Amino acid sequence: MRSYFSDIPKTALQASYWLFVIYLLLPLALMMAISFKDANFVAFPIDKWTLKWYAQVLQDRQFLEACLYSIFIALMTTLFATIVGVWIALLISTEGMIARSVIFALACLPAVVPGLINAISMRIFIRVLDIPTGTGAIILGHTVHAVPFVVIMVLTRLRSMPNNLVDAARDLGADSFVAFMRVTLPYLAPALAGGMVFCVLTSIDDFVRTFFLGGYQTTLPMLIFAKVQGGMSPEINAMATLVLIVTAAIGLYAEHLTRRSRTR
Amino acid sequence: MMVDSSMTETAKASQRAGPSYAGWIGKLVNSPLYAATIGLVANSRMARLGLLLAIPLIWIIGLHIGPIYQMARISVMDNYPPSAEGAVYTLDNYRLFFREPLYFMPFLRSIIFAVCVTATTLIVVYPVAYYVAKVVKPENRTRALLLLLTPFWAGELIRTFSVIMFLANRGAVNVFLREIGLIDRPIILLYNYFSLSFGVIYLISLFMLLPLYSAIEKIPTSLVDAAADLGAGPWQRFRRVILPLSKDGIISGCSLVYLTSIGVFAAPLLLGGPNSTIFPEIIASLFHGSSDKWPEGAAFSMLMLAVSLSTVGLFMRVVGGRSVKLM
Repeated sequence: MRSYFSDIPKTALQASYWLFVIYLLLPLALMMAISFKDANFVAFPIDKWTLKWYAQVLQDRQFLEACLYSIFIALMTTLFATIVGVWIALLISTEGMIARSVIFALACLPAVVPGLINAISMRIFIRVLDIPTGTGAIILGHTVHAVPFVVIMVLTRLRSMPNNLVDAARDLGADSFVAFMRVTLPYLAPALAGGMVFCVLTSIDDFVRTFFLGGYQTTLPMLIFAKVQGGMSPEINAMATLVLIVTAAIGLYAEHLTRRSRTR
Repeated sequence: MMVDSSMTETAKASQRAGPSYAGWIGKLVNSPLYAATIGLVANSRMARLGLLLAIPLIWIIGLHIGPIYQMARISVMDNYPPSAEGAVYTLDNYRLFFREPLYFMPFLRSIIFAVCVTATTLIVVYPVAYYVAKVVKPENRTRALLLLLTPFWAGELIRTFSVIMFLANRGAVNVFLREIGLIDRPIILLYNYFSLSFGVIYLISLFMLLPLYSAIEKIPTSLVDAAADLGAGPWQRFRRVILPLSKDGIISGCSLVYLTSIGVFAAPLLLGGPNSTIFPEIIASLFHGSSDKWPEGAAFSMLMLAVSLSTVGLFMRVVGGRSVKLM
């Protein structure tokens, strides 16, 4: 009797978990299914199956150009955000630095400001400074958004680093630059890998900043947005499915990497 | 003169007795230019501090504070770009907001919408996080978590798009309900508050899940067992032990979800209808329309920033006391 009643909460929790998993996965799974539908309009049920939408997407120059453009922006963003983020994290973790918590709070500012406000303030900023909208502005906007996340990830890792590692390197004759390159940086590697993948994925995914800062060349989210607004076609499903598979694979791989380094 | 001599000394020293390294670092370290630079930095505390401070301070002051400062400045101008006679500073843009219900109402709607989304997300996600953190066996936990994480690697727009196809008149839900004979004609699920909340929760529930999971995982099972031994029923155990101990996770999860849902932009454009216009669309139209209304847009953005951050601050104070960190 008692065990019967104590099982009810457990069963309810399990049900809530699986319902939530269905909620998360079903729309995406159905979207992928429609990409194989042999008809010009997007609707259920699916009677005939085809791969022609994939063939069409892979020959679509606009799509391929948008992909390359998005990847280029993401890589530049990651490069700059990593350098600046590590630098800020080192500054915050320096012993005896004054106002550390203030610097940390300000370094995290772009992460707590709502996305739209962040994008608008950057739009105003680049107009005041007379920077034209376009590639440079997008990279700047994405980098500002990505830096706080790099700072947080690197700081977490730096806190667990024994102080005497760098001291030992210095005692053995390494100057501070060499000690940083040969001791600190390798120690940070897992956090950096996680942070960099995060930068790449958020930059490729970003819509609102690109919407305000972008020029005439479209990024991947802008292209999908335009196509969705323009009318539904299974071609968009094929496009979205391809992008989803690539980003999910990168994300899972990064997850795998950081998990392995944590358990090691 | 002093600096010169110390430079050459260090340069000589590093060539004479310095350790040697393999690869490009070795080549770099042996170059005279590097030796001169490092000598300068090593011998002066100021130079070392300057090098450490320069880039971060320029970056934070210039690019984290700068844009918000400029937004604040333009929000009190009467015209942007300022007219030839010079800028006139005024508070009219802020007054306009409170006088004009066309702006004020969507703003209220936005805030209420974000609060509702946050509360719903908390209620929906809490049992899920609890299940993964406490009920699932430790060896299966990673897999259970990954199943929840994977959809979030798909981008914002792709997930919004999949929600559209899910809820459309000829979408999955309607077709399914018609097939099993529950309805004859499609229920309108899209382009209203329902689709908007469905989509926004779909986009941001991860921000609730992860903080809740890590907070609940830290609760020692022995405490819950002790409460059970002392005669507390499931509800009491939850109310008196688990809930208070997961407070940190609730606070950071709610703050993140609230701040994100108040600033979502693409989802309302695609999922919302004419009756569910929320504030971000209004602000965007002031910047993107044919008429240039930047000062008004900047003022409205400032108001939205102030209200959203102060709501989060108030919430943290009320629920969590003083010492809470967002991340």
